Formats: sequence, structure tokens, C-alpha cells
Amino acid sequence: MIVQRAVEGSGIPTIIISALPTISVRCGAPRGVAPIVPIGANAGAPHDAHMQREILRAALLQLVAIQQPGQNVPLPFSYV
Amino acid sequence: MYYRSEVPTAKPPAPVWTAVAKPLAQMTIALVTGTGVHLRGDQRFDLSCDSSFRIIPAETDCAELTVSHGGYDNTDALADINSMFPLDRLRELAAEGLIAGIAPRHIGFMGGGGDLKKLANETGPAIAELLRQDGVDAAVFTAG
Repeated sequence: MIVQRAVEGSGIPTIIISALPTISVRCGAPRGVAPIVPIGANAGAPHDAHMQREILRAALLQLVAIQQPGQNVPLPFSYV
Repeated sequence: MYYRSEVPTAKPPAPVWTAVAKPLAQMTIALVTGTGVHLRGDQRFDLSCDSSFRIIPAETDCAELTVSHGGYDNTDALADINSMFPLDRLRELAAEGLIAGIAPRHIGFMGGGGDLKKLANETGPAIAELLRQDGVDAAVFTAG
């Protein structure tokens, strides 16, 4: 979140795919999405290209949809 | 130098925000990961504390990527780097036309703690400058 905030502050919009959304929000991430994933596989299950692609797609769609800083959108993808 | 972890503090920091400037289909997107991803031949991160970053060129074959990060179980990342750094997936979304293209350079660093002042004052701005030079419109982060 620290580096994300520096990039955002430099004039480049950002979004984070967060395994721990309460922490991302608390640490001031400008935008975030939260699939249900472990900290070791933030972008989706290994070898599951479909899940990974849909999580990334959702992150990109929320990048342009989120209107206010500090929002984190839960995603209906689960790898536990 | 002192060590801290990124646990929530009593007060969240002041908001930082840059509005998007163009439609998604016109954007060039970079991936930036705090999960310790780097090219196999590149210098590994110092697991005790490291505020450096590594460049991952857009044309990299994901089989050439590995991780050095002591803060999580690396099993899934080593089995399939796209589970932490979805570069192949970003390429596919560009091919679909969801975004205009992918950045020429993507970034791996070691997040989750360490020297927070250096990350905020040196690492972050250096990464931002690199992305700016490359004409990146927005960045997707992992490790949150």
C-alpha cells in the first residue's frame, strides 16, 4: 500500500488485488478488490487461468468504476 | 534503519487519489507486485529487509520468473507465477481489447514491511517515475 500510494500520488491511478482487504483499506490503498484468496496466491489459484483472468478483469473494471478513495470491492472468486 | 510491519495503525493515513483520465480500452497497464517476483537471473531480494525493485520486461516468458520473499508460503507462486503476478493474464486481456496494451516494463519489489520510510520516499517514487516515463496510464498491484 505504501508503494501503491506513492504511485497514485505521482499521478498514476492504481488498484490493488488484496488478500487482506481490511489491511489494505486501513493502510490507505486508493482502490482495491478482494477475491477470497490466501496471501500466497493473490491473483487466483495456480494453474487456474480462468480465475486469474476474471480476477484481473474485475480489478481493471473497478479501477475505472470506483469513484472515491478507500473503497475495496469483494469479488465472488474463491481459492482457499 | 528500523523494522516495522504493515499492520494497521490507529488512524488510516490521509487519502491519496488520482482520477482515471481515459476509458479502460485506451489504457496501457502495468503490473506492480510487492510479492518479491523477479527474473531468475536477477539478484534475489534480501529477505530480512530490501527496498530495491526489479524490472520485468513485457515480453518475459513467465517460466523465467521466480520469487524471493520470506513473508508468505511461496509454493503457489513457484508453481504458477501468474497466481501472484498475472502477466500472461494481462496479455490475454489486452488481446481481447479490454485494455489498449501492456506496459513495456513491470515491477517486482518486496513489500509487507521493512524500511517503510525508504519504501515511501525512495522505492515508490522511483517506480512511479519509471512508469511515467513509459507512458503507463494505470497500475494494478498485488500483495495487499
